[in-house]
Amino acid sequence: MKWGMVIDLKRCIGCYGCQLSCKAEHGTPPGVFFARVLKCEEGEYPSVRQVFLPVLCNHCEDAPCVDTCPTGASFKWADGTVDVDHDKCVGCRTCMMACPYGQRYYNDGDAHYFPKGTTAYEEKMVVRHQRNVVMKCNFCRDRVQAGKLPACVANCPTTARIFGDLDDPLSEVSRLIKDRGGFPLHPELGTKPSVYYLPP
Amino acid sequence: MNLPHPEFATTTDDAWVPSACALCYGSCSILAHRVDGVVVKVEGNPDSVVGKGRLCGKGVSGLACHYDPNRLKVPLRRTNPKKGINEDPGWKEISWDEALDEIATVLKRLRADDPRKLLMQRTTTVTASRIPFQTFGTAFGTPNISTSGGGLHCGNGAHLISGIMHASWGIVPDFHYCNYSIYFGASKGHAAGHAANSNMGLSADARARGMKMVVVDPMCNFAAAKASEWVPLRVGTDAALALAMCNVIANELEILDKPYLQAKTNSPYLIGPDKRYVRDPVNEQPLVWDLKENKARPYNEVPSENMALEGKYQVGTVSCQPAFALLREHLKKFTPAWAEEVSTVPAANVRRLATEFATEARVGSTIVIDGVTLPYRPVASIAFRGSQGHMNSAYNFLAADLLNHLVGAADVVGSCLGFNSASLGHPDTNRPYYFPKPGPDGLMTVGMWMGYHTPYPAGEPRMPQKMGLQDLFIMGMTSPFLDSTDQEEFWTKFELPYRPEVLMNFGSNLLLSIANSETVAASLAKYKFMVSFDLYLTETSNFADIVLPDCSYLQSYESRANFPFILSHPAGPGEYSWPIRQAVLPPDGEQRRFTEVLLELSDRVGFRDKLNAAMNMSMNLQAPYQLEGAQKYTHEEICDMDLKCHFGPERGLEWFKEHGLISWKKRPEEVYWRPFADVRVPIYWEFLIPVGEQIAAIAEPRGLKIPREYYEPLPDFLPCLSHCCKKPGFDFSAFYYRDILHTNSYTLENPWLDEAAQLDPYSYAIAINADAARGKGLKDGELVWVETETGRKVKGRIKLTRAIHPEGLGIAACAGHWAEGMPVAKGKGVMFNDLLELDWAHVSPVNLNLDLCVRVKVTSAEQRQ
Repeated sequence: MKWGMVIDLKRCIGCYGCQLSCKAEHGTPPGVFFARVLKCEEGEYPSVRQVFLPVLCNHCEDAPCVDTCPTGASFKWADGTVDVDHDKCVGCRTCMMACPYGQRYYNDGDAHYFPKGTTAYEEKMVVRHQRNVVMKCNFCRDRVQAGKLPACVANCPTTARIFGDLDDPLSEVSRLIKDRGGFPLHPELGTKPSVYYLPP
Repeated sequence: MNLPHPEFATTTDDAWVPSACALCYGSCSILAHRVDGVVVKVEGNPDSVVGKGRLCGKGVSGLACHYDPNRLKVPLRRTNPKKGINEDPGWKEISWDEALDEIATVLKRLRADDPRKLLMQRTTTVTASRIPFQTFGTAFGTPNISTSGGGLHCGNGAHLISGIMHASWGIVPDFHYCNYSIYFGASKGHAAGHAANSNMGLSADARARGMKMVVVDPMCNFAAAKASEWVPLRVGTDAALALAMCNVIANELEILDKPYLQAKTNSPYLIGPDKRYVRDPVNEQPLVWDLKENKARPYNEVPSENMALEGKYQVGTVSCQPAFALLREHLKKFTPAWAEEVSTVPAANVRRLATEFATEARVGSTIVIDGVTLPYRPVASIAFRGSQGHMNSAYNFLAADLLNHLVGAADVVGSCLGFNSASLGHPDTNRPYYFPKPGPDGLMTVGMWMGYHTPYPAGEPRMPQKMGLQDLFIMGMTSPFLDSTDQEEFWTKFELPYRPEVLMNFGSNLLLSIANSETVAASLAKYKFMVSFDLYLTETSNFADIVLPDCSYLQSYESRANFPFILSHPAGPGEYSWPIRQAVLPPDGEQRRFTEVLLELSDRVGFRDKLNAAMNMSMNLQAPYQLEGAQKYTHEEICDMDLKCHFGPERGLEWFKEHGLISWKKRPEEVYWRPFADVRVPIYWEFLIPVGEQIAAIAEPRGLKIPREYYEPLPDFLPCLSHCCKKPGFDFSAFYYRDILHTNSYTLENPWLDEAAQLDPYSYAIAINADAARGKGLKDGELVWVETETGRKVKGRIKLTRAIHPEGLGIAACAGHWAEGMPVAKGKGVMFNDLLELDWAHVSPVNLNLDLCVRVKVTSAEQRQ
């Protein structure tokens, strides 16, 4: 069993539904994202287009963040999910430097978005996060344990995100990667990501 | 902060409450997760076809709007009598009783004096505010009921022509079966628009299935970014491209759905030298040429297959031709080479696109859907806000839609569809029922509409009673004259028998959403009294005398979150869903639902009887669920009656509170209604000639020339003012576009959306072609002035991009807020609308649509060494 995600760039329209549903699910503080959408351009006018690239923690098989963590706070579950034990994290941020994908965030800012202070929502959802620790996507572990899909997958309006078991050759993620030439980001780094992209 | 409330929360409160989003008029179905009196998550409701359990970025961020500490909580009264952009209203907190006393006193006096002096103005964002606001205005006695801004927000061309040609508020490809779609200035399924979120899923499925999507747009974003082919063009020249494609199809390829043109359009109607129908002398019906009988006969007496589409005929002393023959001849002047010159789209591409479209239409083919054999035309030409936001509004949209009608791709399988033009109702009750039906001359009238007048038959132009002059310019919907610089000149010219004195506004931020704020501010300052229902203190509420703290969507009840289906319900096969909106949280502080406030005001002013009657009419309430006399119903009681009337006595508000919505399967004859409706649509807008003449008969003696080229029955390319600008240095056509994060509500004040937009390369920037910018020595991120010929200017940072036409300058959203009451929004983005003039010279002379493109020069605003 190895959890993985496939993001279909043909379907993705860059709506930010993943980035914002993740924020809504986890109540991440300002500046902290477990999911983001990047935009760039490819080609020359008029054969040019905007490209939308949703990114998140790649849950690498050979995760440099786990290897470099001095306290063992960054670790891997048996199902391949990379996670952070915030009780062990001392906020040294070595993992952030080690992550070649820039998908780790340090929680040392405000726990509220409005200058006037925390809202009722933030009191429940944002304030609970430990301060001065590194935060990142854990494939919505609580949801997945409860039999649900990660929030970004469940919400994606274009069904561009698919979640499943990479070890199962018959799973949808495995079949999509095989049939449509799924690729990870920066395979040359040898980190063996669990997040794959399907070509646009 | 909203605290737990006994009605809503217990110590073990943990509920998922079905309701409806209101971050845009898509009104997707939601489940709100409330824990101990706090909503901790909003998700899509998978039981509903409206969103199918998924939400866009705006929808999932709704909580950050609801819990905004800048929300209004008490009624406010201004103490500073002076009104202006820089005037501090000097707000003073007052009680509801004081507020309603004062408003009722003003309204009583006004109603006794002249009720037409009231303008009811509302946002489109809350679809369910339509009936409360329209019925209040109607019952009060005013014809002045306006929806959001008269400028950028709405689409007079799109709605008018979608209504006339497709019996709906908008058009969309049949994503389930369409194989080839061409979008003209539209993003259906890729950002904004009607049923935006539902369409995202449907269009992704269609693209994954292999639907080819060609997107004609000056900027390659959203829809164009996902297109099989992006066709950049000069801003506002969509009609040139579409008409040249029509020419290629009609005159070069001759791929035409003749049976469709014969049976479902006015193509066979004979047209005389006066460009009018030749009519039967006895019954006055338009004549067609009966090829079998070899004589002219009324259209409704001839089998359609015998109707001539070509040829020249003599009827008595009148030489005439079928309308289609005239159309075909008319199209010949729009050559691909000409189109290239106008639009910059290479002639070879014009020909290729036309060929692809016509070939893929598979004219003559059929398909079986649910056991019913139907025409199969898997192509769709779609247009919306961008292409029709110009002087040439009507023809730009009509030209794009004409592509569909030439090949019969209208409301059949795979084709261009109106949004839910027909509903046969829930199987238990057969309600709601509406179906397109024939009107005068056999041309289609809509089964369902959103207010204003129905698009066809056009009313008769008359001396105006409406301050927007829509009863003179009867093809218009939203009007510039509510705020324009020349409103007084026009009111005087047309002897408007009163002047507006009181404005009741619900949620519209007119100062940002119409045109330049200076002009709108001057018009707002003229009202003797203004009331505004608001969530925050906006730039516009700062012109109000009294501001009333409204409830958010999570605190409100509505029985019609997505009805009429022609606006925000996903089109195509599948299900109909009728969701409600219900309160998940109580009001905070002294917030009150605007619906209840309007009802109380009708009591205080003394016209509840008329309001009840207007609601019976507007909601089509039938006994025993009609509102009686002047009986005082609560809004929830009215919702209950509406629901029971439509879905049976056992399905009232309590049932819907528990279930959230009711769904039923659409039938093929609803989705693909065209073959089942005995209606024709006009490929030749004969009725426009008398409309133009009648308007001119009123306007021209009063010194207003009506340019008849806009009232011709066949579409043309008529340039925008920006196309005529020859002033040196004015090299760009600036245009507005809808950003996926910032559309249709107060998204700029939402900190989650603002944070995302700050990280987006385009949302808050001015998009400029990289080569064009470098040619002017401008660099990425540079602060620039964008200035119009008339000296209006805005400042912003440029984003150099290869994904925009060299002459285009793209600016997103209604940004550039300055109100202290919206601190997150303040100072973000660029206010495109500040570049727009607002007067007769800048609107379509036929449907009053404000031109959204403006010729500008771009200069550095940075100190250079």
